[in-house]
Amino acid sequence: MASNKLLKFSSSPHVKAKRTTRHIMIDVCIALLPAVIMGIVYFGWRAAALIAISVASSILSEGVYLLICKKTVKEIIHQFDFTSCVTGLLIALSIGSQTPLYVPVLASIFAIVVVKMLFGGTGKNLVNPAVTGRVFAFISFTSVMASGWLAPSISSIAGGWATSISPTTGATILTEKLSGAVTSFSIWDMLLGTGMAGCIGETCKLALIVGAIYLAVRRVINIIYPAIYIAVTGVVAVILQSVTKGQLDLYSFFPAVLSGGLFLGAFFMATDYTTSPNTTVGNIVYFALLGILTAVLRWATGIEVVSFVILLGNLLVPLIDKFIVNKPFGYVKVKKVKEKKNG
Amino acid sequence: MSIRKGKNYPYGIHVKDNKQLTADAPIEKITAPETVYVCMSQHIGAPAIPCVNVGDKVKKGQMVGEASGAISANVFASVSGEVIAIEDIVNGLGQKAKYVVIKNDFADEEVFFDDICDFEPSSLVERIRLAGIVGLGGAGFPTAVKLSPKNQLDALIINGAECEPYLTCDYRLMLERTEDIYKGIKYTARALKINKIIFGIEANKPLAIKAFERFSDLDIVILKKQYPMGSEKHLIYCTTGRKVPLGKMPFDVGVCVQNVKTMIACYEAIELNKPLTSTVFTVSGMAVNEPKNILAPIGTPVVDIVKHCGGTLEELEKVVAGGPMMGKALINLNHYTRKTDSGFLCLKAEEISPLNPTNCINCGTCAKNCPMRLMPMYIESFALAGDFANAEKYGAMNCLECGSCAYNCPAKRALVQSISMAKNKIKEMKKNGK
Repeated sequence: MASNKLLKFSSSPHVKAKRTTRHIMIDVCIALLPAVIMGIVYFGWRAAALIAISVASSILSEGVYLLICKKTVKEIIHQFDFTSCVTGLLIALSIGSQTPLYVPVLASIFAIVVVKMLFGGTGKNLVNPAVTGRVFAFISFTSVMASGWLAPSISSIAGGWATSISPTTGATILTEKLSGAVTSFSIWDMLLGTGMAGCIGETCKLALIVGAIYLAVRRVINIIYPAIYIAVTGVVAVILQSVTKGQLDLYSFFPAVLSGGLFLGAFFMATDYTTSPNTTVGNIVYFALLGILTAVLRWATGIEVVSFVILLGNLLVPLIDKFIVNKPFGYVKVKKVKEKKNG
Repeated sequence: MSIRKGKNYPYGIHVKDNKQLTADAPIEKITAPETVYVCMSQHIGAPAIPCVNVGDKVKKGQMVGEASGAISANVFASVSGEVIAIEDIVNGLGQKAKYVVIKNDFADEEVFFDDICDFEPSSLVERIRLAGIVGLGGAGFPTAVKLSPKNQLDALIINGAECEPYLTCDYRLMLERTEDIYKGIKYTARALKINKIIFGIEANKPLAIKAFERFSDLDIVILKKQYPMGSEKHLIYCTTGRKVPLGKMPFDVGVCVQNVKTMIACYEAIELNKPLTSTVFTVSGMAVNEPKNILAPIGTPVVDIVKHCGGTLEELEKVVAGGPMMGKALINLNHYTRKTDSGFLCLKAEEISPLNPTNCINCGTCAKNCPMRLMPMYIESFALAGDFANAEKYGAMNCLECGSCAYNCPAKRALVQSISMAKNKIKEMKKNGK
């Protein structure tokens, strides 16, 4: 009889859903795969090397940090939750393919050790590690990061990606557009990234959209929020362009949303659980705010600001969470008794 | 006859219900045990006071514990025999309570109440009070108190949702004792002097809905299969559209909610003159050999029940009294059935997902799922930091402890545990006049 057997004892609920933090992070990695593949197809072995180095240094720096914290190897493997893998992937995808190999290494170490682990590890970071890592790299290595964008073209892909990409450098379409030299890119080109210069993972928007749809189907993210971000950015950009030019410029919607790091930022960086608000209303406010800031700051500064805006937004999240809280079911507003003041 | 769909309530979760284990098993009467342990504290409120002495011969249906105070309930002998002990026992939940231990003489002698002669509302309520009937949905609040509200109510809502996974006892009762439930409902409505009767049944019980269709004076509401639909406040909202204000009770919005099991107890007390001496519950889970729905005398040892269901498998990890979402785990099987029991679940490791908690990743899933629209992650972190004033500010006291937050938490945080700890501490603080 089982009467003598020790039973497990715990608080309710006694059944739980299967999904864990690790499952969610693996889903994010899977969702980034199309962008990784397209990055390698467009930019060749260098992209592959950058991605591999970035991911490896992220995971290793987390491991080394935990070793210094006197965790055993078994514990480290047991609690490995793939967040550092996501961070590494995002850093690699948001840098140019000609970036020196040491840049993602330093960015990853900064992101993992300073931004994440020193604050207490997964879930405790104030700002998104990947975004901060990217901004760190941008500010620290301005010259190498700002030059060396490669523009993949249909012909170069057809001719074999490993050998024949000619390293034509150029500004991203965004910079061109912002400097008023915007020319003839079709929307299709912008979606696929063909002929456009950009970062490894940000060039092919279609791959990012596929990844985002995967995340939405798996219910990791709510697709509405990044959609709000992208739409608000586009609309505000149209308004700003129209005001500047003095006439309605609807076409500027597409370059505004389809260029730069907006898709990667909106789908994969801004939706990071830890650094986004906890309520539905809070999220809508947050993503709309990001959209407005992105469009306005792009217009004002003429550089790509998505990662800076997300960093800024992250810092506003505690404030949003403090003031936007769900109203409990059956909440009755307490009527404040107005005291008449006798003048 | 009217059947309509319930109002939609967007917050709540979908739980794998595992009801198929026992949904088709007819209610089985267990063979009376050798000894029954009748607990004096089977309800919310003051414990009953034993009114028999060691060595007394008692008959089935004879009062052994008398209600002590306004919110309390009588307790009855569930078998005939001899009182062999009246002692404090630590039960499987780890609670110390007074028990009257009766050795069964298998003579099956039974005593009944006198017939009710006038069927006036007040005499019906008096009978329900006398019979020791409490809310059998799990809360155990004395039913007679619920049936004597200060204001006139306008609707009686019958809770046939049974949203807890695994449990099927209410469902089986709705199929097997439809007529009795209906009669109980009519008596209860009469006691409350109201005509409007709403019967809420979850959409996953089509047979139960069909069984009640024939009663033309019931307003049957088909509820969406969602957890926690059986929660009083949500049932009221989905059936009538009324929101119970925070800190208020259902009678403040003019309704009274009763469980189907309570209705059967009322029927038995009023028409059959029987006090509450037995309960129907589900024995289920993957670690029990024969999952069953069982009718057992109150005070039956859980060991006997498990034996009746073919014993447990080696892989038994956890035994839960009640449903898996809100039930309490048992420390050991030295536990005895009580009025409010709705199930005993023998669970395997694969069912309970015994993962250790990791850091909260602030995903907001708990806040999205909370049926009370609270912010469980803040309450938890304030509770763990010992800041109970802030925990209360974020609504700790409004928590139902339904477990919707912890069920879907990817970090497997023990949210309910922290919140109920906060609730106890806040109550303590208020008691100490702070």
